[in-house]
Amino acid sequence: MFLRLVADSFGRRPRHKLLTGAALALGMAVATAALSVALDVGDRLAKEFRSLGANLVVTPKADSLPLEIGGVDYRPVNAGAYLPEADLPKLKTIFWHNNIVGFSPILEVQGEALPFSNEDRRLQPSNWIHGVSIIGTWADHAVPLPEGGAFRTGVAKTNPWWRVDGQWFSSDGKECVVGVAFAEKNQVKVGDSISLAIGDVTVLPAPLKVVGILNSGGSEDASIVVPLSYAQSLADRPGQYRKLYVSALTKPEDTFARKDPKSMTPAEYDRWLCTPYISSIAFQIQEELPGTDVRVIRRVAEGEGQILTRVQTLLWLVTCAAMLAAALAVGASSAASVIERQVEIGLMKALGAGSGTVGFLLAAEQLLLAFVGGGVGYALGIVLARLLGEKIFGAAPEPTLLVFFVVIGLAAVVTLLGSALPLRRASRIDPAPILRGE
Amino acid sequence: MTELRRTNRAMFWRILRRLLGANRGRLFVMLLALGAGAAVTAALLNLQVDAKRRLTTEFSAFGPNVLISPKATLTGSDGPATLSQDIEKGVLNMLLGAHVAPFLYFYADVSTENSEQVPAVVVGMHPFTFDLLEPTWKIEPKRADARPGDCMVGATLLSHLKITTGQALHVSVAGKQVDCAVKRTVSSGGEEDNQLFVDLSAAQSLVSLPNRVSLIQILIPGTPQEIQHSLAMLQQRFPDAEVRPIRQFTEGEAKIYNRISGLLTATVAIVLLLTALCVMAAMSNVAIERKMDVGLMKAIGGATHRVVRLFLTEAALLGLAGGLIGAALGILLSIGLGKAVFGVAARPRLIVYPVAVGLTVLVAILSAFPLRRLASIRPASVFRGEA
Repeated sequence: MFLRLVADSFGRRPRHKLLTGAALALGMAVATAALSVALDVGDRLAKEFRSLGANLVVTPKADSLPLEIGGVDYRPVNAGAYLPEADLPKLKTIFWHNNIVGFSPILEVQGEALPFSNEDRRLQPSNWIHGVSIIGTWADHAVPLPEGGAFRTGVAKTNPWWRVDGQWFSSDGKECVVGVAFAEKNQVKVGDSISLAIGDVTVLPAPLKVVGILNSGGSEDASIVVPLSYAQSLADRPGQYRKLYVSALTKPEDTFARKDPKSMTPAEYDRWLCTPYISSIAFQIQEELPGTDVRVIRRVAEGEGQILTRVQTLLWLVTCAAMLAAALAVGASSAASVIERQVEIGLMKALGAGSGTVGFLLAAEQLLLAFVGGGVGYALGIVLARLLGEKIFGAAPEPTLLVFFVVIGLAAVVTLLGSALPLRRASRIDPAPILRGE
Repeated sequence: MTELRRTNRAMFWRILRRLLGANRGRLFVMLLALGAGAAVTAALLNLQVDAKRRLTTEFSAFGPNVLISPKATLTGSDGPATLSQDIEKGVLNMLLGAHVAPFLYFYADVSTENSEQVPAVVVGMHPFTFDLLEPTWKIEPKRADARPGDCMVGATLLSHLKITTGQALHVSVAGKQVDCAVKRTVSSGGEEDNQLFVDLSAAQSLVSLPNRVSLIQILIPGTPQEIQHSLAMLQQRFPDAEVRPIRQFTEGEAKIYNRISGLLTATVAIVLLLTALCVMAAMSNVAIERKMDVGLMKAIGGATHRVVRLFLTEAALLGLAGGLIGAALGILLSIGLGKAVFGVAARPRLIVYPVAVGLTVLVAILSAFPLRRLASIRPASVFRGEA
């Protein structure tokens, strides 16, 4: 009988139920879309922030004091400590290895350069340009991984704002890329050659071919970028580098992350280590590369953290506001559907139904609607979130079960709350005046 | 004729009053749905306008975005090139609201009372430059007095010299020497960690370069377009100097700003659209419940267009009331939300209020449209309880 009553209520007033259901579905679609986007946005934006480049820098621990001005280190080659290049594949073995998007080792030396174009073969040793900064690094280098396979990385990953007219040098080739300011000053163009030396310019070394002009907007514009291996042989530092830039995907630091790891309890320490905070990634890199000092580039890392936190809070608030509005509208809709049924309730009570039975019957109807409407709304919301994600970030957020349960739960709670008030009034209804139409 | 019309009009409003007042539960429910929609519309619109503006100030976390350096600084063959410090004032007059910071770099030997000399990069700058320019750097202690004899030390240099704050340092360049007291330390993760920061005028007299600086850093606030505009102006104004953006941050900022503002606009648009549809569905639901009323009105001779007009007016009035209350609540809400997100209350924009109210009235009227179907209602069947 109970089921028959419910089925009858749906069957006899399809338009009415359809509209209540539509309100529910739309409301829940808002909730789903906003929730999916808010849950997903942190990861997506963290990827966008990698366009700011490296957020960690690794230097030797027992180093002499670097004499850097504007990013150029003026220390001579024999001063200071170096790090072994052979250790670098270990970076991809740390717990958060998937969060390491790229790294590039740097070996910077001050040397002499002799550019010449291919038509003009008359080499004048007096044309040597002194005090040129020569940067050895990886452009797009395949790092062999311990578990097999290779990881391609280099400055193209860690310094994405560097623009190269022409192309990057190949890892082992006799090629180089010239900074735009150096190129303009010395009339160097793609296709020319450059000989490089340190100190001794009596023997003419084999020249490098200029394959690209670099525009970085920084001090690199005045330097020459060469493959790391070439800079190593030039400085007579085989297999060594001086500085390593690491670009890692991180979670913005919260108050917990700012605690000193030494003062944490073992449980807190595990939690800290298993969260991709920049400090814990830095710690793991330091463990993996002995004798290094891993520092956080605060301008990038902290700036990213601040903005990410703000945007995430903002989207959560938008989500909450959207859910609140959806809840109120849906609640109002279900309240209305109960208010209008006083005659029916009166009739049921006149026929001997208790307040409990009537309430149960209406609640069951509302719940059925909530599940159907919530389900449809979830599907609609997921489609919208996909559209939004693909339009803005080029990738759709993954549908999660969490959102589904939250949305269905919200639908049930809202419909029940919405009908609870009128139902309470209905339970006090005296059937006689209602049926008389008073 | 006019008498009839007046009676008609009086009757119209009387029926309307009764329609609204007849069922207070229903009135409340309708106002709730419309008010909620209006509140969210107003809050989101206000927040959206405000958040975009606020985001650009958030980007100041990345520090300066424009550098002015001497043109011939490319090779160090003829000594380090410098700029006139007058450029600093020129920039300050040109760009209001920008932070301008001159720096003078030189090498010096740094030592304490009982240690040997260490070659280091010494930087002359205005005190508290980094407090304004670099909000992400760790400077300790946070507050300090500005005294000419004080200096700030980078974290690496500090551990290298094995000193603590409060100790005195000797800085010597080419026979000249100056002493300073270490008052603060700075940690940036960049080259600043290796440097020593002294007062600009003290540095200028130490290296005998009065009124000269090596570099001027500028933090221009605003959207990426505004920064581009200021940059072009600076380049035109100072043709003898090299004016360039710090591409690492200007380009990254532009990309991120576009993404975030696109995300915000799209989310707000979808939420508003769905909320409007949701409110409409809820209202229509209430509207079809009124068959009895319509049936009765038609039975006593109400023309269809009059009945429809009656209900549309009712919907518009409800929309107006719900909109006025809801939008006001929404704007108050957005002020609170702005405070929660950005720490600064969102400035209420007056244009948002009428827009939100107008949208609500529109939604209310649109949702009363299913009533047009009521024109086909046959009063008799309604009263027989068939429909």
